[in-house]
Amino acid sequence: MRVDSQPAAFSNIGAVNPLGLRPKNLTEKPLNKVIGISIIAILISLSAWGYQLSQGLIVTNMRNPFSWGLYIATFAFFVGIAAGGLIVSSSVYLFDLEKLKPFTRIASLSAFASVLAAGAMILPDMGRIDRILNIFFHPNFRSPLVWDVMVISAYMVVTFLSVYVQLLPDWKSEGRGFFNGWTKSRSLEEVQKFSKKWSKRISLIGLPFAILLHTVTALIFATQASRGWWNTAILPPDFIAVAIASGTALVMLIGLLVAGKERFTEYNDAFKILASIVAGALVVHFFFVFVDLVIHGWWGKQEAHELFSLLFGRYSLVYATELLLPGFTMFYFFSARGKRSYQSLIFGSVLLFSGVFAHRMMLMFPAFNAIPLTLSLPAAGIESWAYPISVGQLRDGMPSFVTSWSYVPSLVEGLLAILPFGIVTFVVSLALKLYAFLPEKH
Amino acid sequence: MRLGMVIDLDKCIGCRTCTVSCKSHNAQPPGIWWNRVFTPGSEFHQAAVGNDGHLQMNFLPVSCQMCDNAPCEKVCPVGATYTDERGVVLVDYDRCIGCRYCLAACPYNVRQFNWEDPKKAKARVGYEQGYEYGYPTDVRDKEGQLVYTPSRPVGVVEKCTFCFQYTSKGELPACVRSCPAKARFFGDLDDPESEVSRLIRERQAIRLKEELGTQPKVYYLPASKPNR
Repeated sequence: MRVDSQPAAFSNIGAVNPLGLRPKNLTEKPLNKVIGISIIAILISLSAWGYQLSQGLIVTNMRNPFSWGLYIATFAFFVGIAAGGLIVSSSVYLFDLEKLKPFTRIASLSAFASVLAAGAMILPDMGRIDRILNIFFHPNFRSPLVWDVMVISAYMVVTFLSVYVQLLPDWKSEGRGFFNGWTKSRSLEEVQKFSKKWSKRISLIGLPFAILLHTVTALIFATQASRGWWNTAILPPDFIAVAIASGTALVMLIGLLVAGKERFTEYNDAFKILASIVAGALVVHFFFVFVDLVIHGWWGKQEAHELFSLLFGRYSLVYATELLLPGFTMFYFFSARGKRSYQSLIFGSVLLFSGVFAHRMMLMFPAFNAIPLTLSLPAAGIESWAYPISVGQLRDGMPSFVTSWSYVPSLVEGLLAILPFGIVTFVVSLALKLYAFLPEKH
Repeated sequence: MRLGMVIDLDKCIGCRTCTVSCKSHNAQPPGIWWNRVFTPGSEFHQAAVGNDGHLQMNFLPVSCQMCDNAPCEKVCPVGATYTDERGVVLVDYDRCIGCRYCLAACPYNVRQFNWEDPKKAKARVGYEQGYEYGYPTDVRDKEGQLVYTPSRPVGVVEKCTFCFQYTSKGELPACVRSCPAKARFFGDLDDPESEVSRLIRERQAIRLKEELGTQPKVYYLPASKPNR
C-alpha cells in the first residue's frame, strides 16, 4: 500500500484508455490508502464477529428486554443510504435532469455498495448464522423479514446491473472488464447504444425497487402492534423521505470526493440540484416527524406519556441529535451559502449522516424501553404498570427481571458494526480505482 | 382441539411454585424464565401497592399466552414458530435462526433468547457439576420438529410449550400440577363441557391486552375483590 508508487501505476491504466475518460486528478488521490484502511476495518470487524461467534450474542449488550440494537439500526441506516443511487439516476430520465447525468455511475455504485453493506450487517445479528439458508428452504411468506430478503436481493441485482451496463462501453474500448465476452463480436457503437438504452431501462425499473426496499424494511417495524413507536403507517413514507435525503447526500459526497476541489466548479450545478433534493426530502421527513408526534401525543394515552418521557427525557440527547443536525442541514442546503462550496456541502452531508444514524438508533430506544405488557390497575390507583421481563442472563449484581434496559452497544458490537462502513468504502474506492466513474465533460 | 389455560386470580397466592416447577421441568438455562409471577403495580414481587393506607396485593402469573393470532408465528421468517394441531404455539429448536424478530413482536415479552451456550452459563453461574434438571430426553412432534431438548442450543429462542412432553401424552402441564392453590386449569377450549370452557363462561374471564387482537388461549379469572 505504498502511496508514492501510485501515480505511475495509475498513469499506465490511463494510457490504455483511448477515450481519455479517466480523469487525471483522480489518479493523484490516495485511493490505495483508502482501500487499505477499509480492508483493515473489515478485518477488525470480522475478528469481532469471530469472537461473537465463539461466545454467542452474550458479548453484545442486547438482552431479552432490548433484543435488537446497534446491528439492526446500522442495517436500517445502510438500507436508507442505498436509495440514493436509483433515485438520482431515475430522476435524470424521469425529470430530464441532464445536469445530474455525470453522476449516474456514482449513484449506481453507491447504491450497490450500500445495499451490499446492509445485507452484510444483518448477518451478525443472527443467533444461528449457520442456519441462514432456512430462509430459502422454509420461507414463511407472512414474515416481513422474508419480503425484505427478497427485495434486498433484487435491489442488489438491479444496482449491480446498473453499474455493469454503464461501464460496458469503457470496458469495450479498454479491452477489459468482466461478464462482457459477448461484447467482443460487437462494435463500440453498438455497445454504447446498448449501454445507453439499458441504463435508462434499469434506472426506471429500479425506482420502484428502491421505493419497495424502504417500504418493506419499514414494514418490518411498522407491522408490530406490540411496539407503539413503530406501529404507524407514517413509518414507511418516512423511511422513503429519510432514504432520499441520506441516499442523495451519499451520492453527492462521493461525487464531491471524486471531483475534488479542482473540478468542483465544473459540476457546481449538479451539486446544487443534489443539495436541493436532500433539503426537500428533509422537509417531507420533518413533516412526518411532526405529524407522528402530534398523533402520538394529542390523545394523551398513558403510552404516549411514556413515549414522550423517553423521547424528551431519557433519550433527549440522541433525539436532539436526530432532529437538530438534519434540521440544520435542511436550512443550510436551502441557503445559497450551504450550496456554494465544496466544504459546505461536505459539512452539511456529514451532519446529516450523523443525524440519520441517531434517527436509526432512536428506532430502537423508545420501542424497547416501553414495555408492551403495560397494564392499568384502577383499583390501586395505578395508570400504567410494566410487567417485568426476564433479562436472559444470571449474573451477580444483575436483576433477574427488569422493566427497562439501559442499552448501550458493547465494544464488540461497536467493532462489528464497522463492517458495513468498511464494505461501502472498500467497494466504492476499489471501483473508483479500477474504472472511471465520473466522466470528463466533453 | 384447542388447548387452553385458565388462571384463577382469586386463588393465586403468588408463591411462584409454578415459576420454579416450570423452570425445573423444562430445563430452562440460568436467567431464562418461561413463567413469571408478579405483583401488579409493584416492581418487586410480594410488595403491596396502593394509596392512603389502602394497600393491596394481588398476583398475576404470565407465560406464553398461546395466541390464536400469534404475531411471533407470523413474523418468524423460517416457520420455526408454528401452531400445532392442538393449538399450541411451539418453537423448533433445530430450525430457529435466532433473528429475534419474535421477541420484538410478542406483546407479552414471554420469549427468551439463549444469548450464550447454556452449558457455559451453568458453569459460570456455579451450578453444581453434573447437576442436571428437567425432562431428560429430546421431544419431537409428529413431523419430527424438535420442540424440547434438555440441552438447549445457543442462539435460539424458547418459551412455554404447555409442557409438550406431558400434554402430548394427555398429562397436565407442570405448572397446573404443582400449583398448591389449585389456581390453574387446563383443557380443551373447543369442548363446551370442559372445565376451562365452563370457568370462562361462568366467571367473566379476561385475556391480557385483548385490544391487540392476539386472541390468547390463556384466560384469567379476575380477582373478585382486592387482597387487602
